[in-house]
Amino acid sequence: MTGPKSTLPEVAREVVAGRGRITFARASNYGFVALSVVAWVYILTGGDSGLGDLFSGRAWSNAADFVRQLLGIDEPGRPAYLELSRWAETGKLAYKTLLMSVLAIGLAGVGVLITFLPAARNVSNGELGGRPSAGLGVLYHVLRLVFAFTRAVPELVWAMVIVFFLSPGVLPGAIALGLHNYGIVGKLSAEVVENMDPGPARALRSSGAGNLQMLAYGIIPQAIPQFLTYLLYRWEVVIRTTVVVGFVSAGGLGREFRLSLSFFHYTDVALIIIWYLILVLAVDLLSAGLRPIIRAG
Amino acid sequence: MIWTGVTKARGAARFLETRRLLTLVLAGALVWSLTGVDWGGGIVHTGGGNAFKEFLTALFPPELSPGFLKLAIAASWQTLVHAVAGITLALAIGLALGVVASGSLGHLGRSRLAIAVAARFLLAIMRSIHELVWAVLFVTAFGLSSLAVVLAIAIPYAGILGRIYSELLNDVPDGPLDGLRSSGASPAKVLVYGRIPLALTDMIGYSFYRFECAIRAAAIMSFVGIRGLGYEIQLSLNDLLFSEVWTLLLFLVGLVLLVDYWSTRVRRSLGS
Repeated sequence: MTGPKSTLPEVAREVVAGRGRITFARASNYGFVALSVVAWVYILTGGDSGLGDLFSGRAWSNAADFVRQLLGIDEPGRPAYLELSRWAETGKLAYKTLLMSVLAIGLAGVGVLITFLPAARNVSNGELGGRPSAGLGVLYHVLRLVFAFTRAVPELVWAMVIVFFLSPGVLPGAIALGLHNYGIVGKLSAEVVENMDPGPARALRSSGAGNLQMLAYGIIPQAIPQFLTYLLYRWEVVIRTTVVVGFVSAGGLGREFRLSLSFFHYTDVALIIIWYLILVLAVDLLSAGLRPIIRAG
Repeated sequence: MIWTGVTKARGAARFLETRRLLTLVLAGALVWSLTGVDWGGGIVHTGGGNAFKEFLTALFPPELSPGFLKLAIAASWQTLVHAVAGITLALAIGLALGVVASGSLGHLGRSRLAIAVAARFLLAIMRSIHELVWAVLFVTAFGLSSLAVVLAIAIPYAGILGRIYSELLNDVPDGPLDGLRSSGASPAKVLVYGRIPLALTDMIGYSFYRFECAIRAAAIMSFVGIRGLGYEIQLSLNDLLFSEVWTLLLFLVGLVLLVDYWSTRVRRSLGS
């Protein structure tokens, strides 16, 4: 066992020897190494590995040509990223993309807010007040299953399915992104409640608080800041993914990206990548600025 | 114990006061985002409602014929192979860049600081671009091949892993390291015998979580025409064979949850 006083060599020795609690991790490391060897052998021996291309001059000159096309070198006319009108046009799409990301996080957030409490074990079994019932027990398992399913399916696959039912635009993209993030934030938020410090709840209970008061003063204030922090973190991920969801006609920059690529308008592609990087940077900064406000709030 | 509870409850009361403003801002953002939706054009397109009903009923039962199951297993294998190859390459690149970006190699100096900052910047660019956008770029440049997918996963994931590794390596407490330093260990030795072993459990735990994400990333590489679960889902959707779509979705969910379970067990056994 590693006590708090253990010195470095002991820890190192324990890691190297793989004693005690790290045995499973050690076994799984071996398993992972074996799996990766098999995977690499499979890829490199497959007919279309592309390894040969990596060392062929032709592929690299293709890549160089592609970069030149993106930059618009030796093309007639001015590249799109030097045209102010193109900036304005794609700027509108960037705005839509930003709206899509906010809507996606909003949908996921509202969904989680409604369902995260019954999805926490210590709420469903009555540890934090309330009365345990068979219905709550079932609800707990159903919600956990829904979280797992929505989380495991990537945004893009959700989008592929959803554009079958909804008209293309911002909404299907936002729903696809929202579904995936609902599963992620839902699971994390339920775990926040499960790992909560029971101190405040106990203090409230001992001073005679009822169930609703427990919820409002004991559980929600502890869980919500963490929940909002998760939402912000996921927003940073979502803004990167909006472009991808746009590939399946969900609107915004992604759709334009795909169209420009299929029409060989490569300088437009470069412009869209620039807008995309601007959005990513802006959301990262905004989120970093909002985080301390939520912590302090 | 109970006192920390009371002070926390007081913090909670303060939170309730500023809560109103925060709620207002967040609700405002949601309403603002709704203005982006084209409400006039019809949300559900013609036949969309019926298609949705068909899609839901197709789950009972999903397509379970032996031939299709074989295809689903082959597609899952393809996706797994791409994910594993991508994440292993990401581990190698991420570790190398992460060590440089952490600045824990060598003594503090202006030139080394510049290298660390450059490495951090490189990592930021790598992870800013989504894996599928990388895939589009690689396939356009190199053509359809497994290696294009592997690189497309490896680059953004190395960007994320490298950043996390560098943070973990920097967060190692100085106490145990000073022991090594006082016995005359070079910075490289401090790294190998001190920082890395001490940060290892967290590094492994996070890497496994990223492995789970890599499975999803590999599955969606269908968009650039690479075979795998996403590719088959797309084909079945185009043929309106919804029960096949469900089978493939269940395989994908199963694969992700399997890796999720693996990574949870690893993290638990590492005690992090």
